[in-house]
Amino acid sequence: MSKETMSRRDALKFGVVGAGAAMLTAANAMAAAPTEKEVKFDEEYDVIVIGTGFAGLAAAAKAAERGYKVLILEKMGRVGGNSVINGGGMAVPNSTWQKKYGIQDSGELFIADCLKAGLGINHVELLETIVKRAQDALDFSIKCGAKWQDVKPAWFGGHSVPRSLVTDNMSGSGVIKPMHEFVEKLPGCKIMTRVKMDDFVMSNDGTTVVGVTARINYRFDPKLLSDDVENKTGDKKVYKAKKGIVLASGGFSMDKVFRKIQDPRLVEDMDATNHDGATAGALLKAFQIGALPVHIDWIQQGPWASPDERGFGVAPLLTQQGLFKFGVAVDVKNGKRFMNEMADRKTRADAEYVILRKDPKSFPVAIGTYNTFEEQIYPIIEKGLTGGVMKKFDTLDAFAANYKIPADALKATVKKYNEDVKNGVEDEFKKQTLKGDSLKELKGGDPIDMKGPFYGIRLVPKPHHTMGGLHINTKAQVISGNTNKPIPGLFAAGEVTGGTHGASRLGTVAVTDCLVFGLIAGENI
Amino acid sequence: MCNKRTLFFLGFFFIFSGMSLLGADTNTSSPKINITPELKKEFPLKAHHDKLSLSCTDCHEGQGDDPKDFKLIGDKGCLSCHKTKQFLADRLKFMDTTHTNPHNSIHDGPKLYCDECHNEHKPSDNMCLQCHSNDVKSWMRPTP
Repeated sequence: MSKETMSRRDALKFGVVGAGAAMLTAANAMAAAPTEKEVKFDEEYDVIVIGTGFAGLAAAAKAAERGYKVLILEKMGRVGGNSVINGGGMAVPNSTWQKKYGIQDSGELFIADCLKAGLGINHVELLETIVKRAQDALDFSIKCGAKWQDVKPAWFGGHSVPRSLVTDNMSGSGVIKPMHEFVEKLPGCKIMTRVKMDDFVMSNDGTTVVGVTARINYRFDPKLLSDDVENKTGDKKVYKAKKGIVLASGGFSMDKVFRKIQDPRLVEDMDATNHDGATAGALLKAFQIGALPVHIDWIQQGPWASPDERGFGVAPLLTQQGLFKFGVAVDVKNGKRFMNEMADRKTRADAEYVILRKDPKSFPVAIGTYNTFEEQIYPIIEKGLTGGVMKKFDTLDAFAANYKIPADALKATVKKYNEDVKNGVEDEFKKQTLKGDSLKELKGGDPIDMKGPFYGIRLVPKPHHTMGGLHINTKAQVISGNTNKPIPGLFAAGEVTGGTHGASRLGTVAVTDCLVFGLIAGENI
Repeated sequence: MCNKRTLFFLGFFFIFSGMSLLGADTNTSSPKINITPELKKEFPLKAHHDKLSLSCTDCHEGQGDDPKDFKLIGDKGCLSCHKTKQFLADRLKFMDTTHTNPHNSIHDGPKLYCDECHNEHKPSDNMCLQCHSNDVKSWMRPTP
């Protein structure tokens, strides 16, 4: 008998014992979601939304606009989760913006870009839904009061063409704040913060989600290893949802326990770009009632983050919309380039890991000059410099000395890079911004302006977005592993879902994903 | 007539004072708490509050006389002296030009809970530091 069969059999045996135990303790909240007859509802709503990010607020706003009484629960004190600290970029293929600024794009091209970065394992029907509804989602955000910069769309890594809009304040809060106000103004709708969803409440036959148990006056504690398991604060309440629940609880990049189970490289004390509350608790509750998982262990790391600041910081903006497009990133040991600085996130993070695995402290450095920054990013340059995450040098020699890069090698790298562009030689890493129309932006000058000054940022990958999550259909319904059909009363949208982005998401598609499927959940519930 | 009325009110006053004294014994109103050095060490006050010689129950109103039973006073408690979040945001309006007003930030506007950053009996914790670790020192002094 092979080892595999043995362990499978053991697993089966364990499964039977486990099921028996679960039946014995069905009333125990620790073992299973409570049923309707086991609880007493304190309040009743049409729709309950878990989470106040892009997905949650879009779902709530749409459901509320349809006349439903909506309750929104947020476990943190602050509204907006990761959405309120993100860079405010939204990729919209075939947008009115692109038409206005003369950019040719197509849904097929967008899906091809996503599939390339996602290593082909993306659920294409979800990408097609994004293509169909992205402009609607953008328009809905504008209706709620969001303002987007009226400039040429920005060009983010992995995209074949520029297609990303950026909010007027360069933060997702440019969408969250007006949407929050929009929802609060609608009659019967309520946002409650510091309220933690504990469990789903199921119908008596166990098939349908009819409410949630929660704790009000909950205080998230970032000092705990697992807040979801250890935190006992708050007072219990039970809420009924007549139409259903939208789970928009986000990803788990800050779940020290769960992320490490999925990817052991993500040790407990590793920094991430996320807010402290990005944990897996609500996702695991959905699994407990039969929701199907997809792509859970694909955790995307941002290759544009810096070890010289905490969290997301300003480096991601300054690299993506600054140093990467026409500048280069070099290995400090040899002064050579090591990646396409405009590749998708996984490709770039993996390339950085190759260097960091040899020497965890030899962070690669991105280098560029003033002309490599996009105009949207000009106001941030000074911020990067005063905070110290970006440094400025008058000469390449000074640059090399600071980062301990062999100066001659660095100069040779920059010289060859500039000459290749001038001579029309294809870039060794096939960087997409170094050919065609894009070069017109250089106005005949060098990509890296040899006059200087030269700007530098040290790079490190940081956990950023968890690709995996709940399996949903194109109506944002959560699919059950018990029936392979939607779980009645349960919708999900945003980072808590999986499959859309495959192995790795392209930059600025998260906002699109969240707003589109939030809107759809709000329409269908 | 007048005297009678004064007496009446005086009597009323004494009864009322007596009631509040009684109240102290039965934990129903604001009692005086003897602030021992030990108590002060366990629940230190921020300098600006200490200067005002605040007693426990100035903030922990109607929470009895045992510091162990005191609960968080919440935004409502803070704002009973500090007016409104908008007032606090306006007071730091000069920081809006650089988008660094912590009471009216780009992310949250004037909507955060006070105790997201400010603590009374333990060191405060500037929430901005979670992402802007490098910038905060050039934006503002330590959180009071």
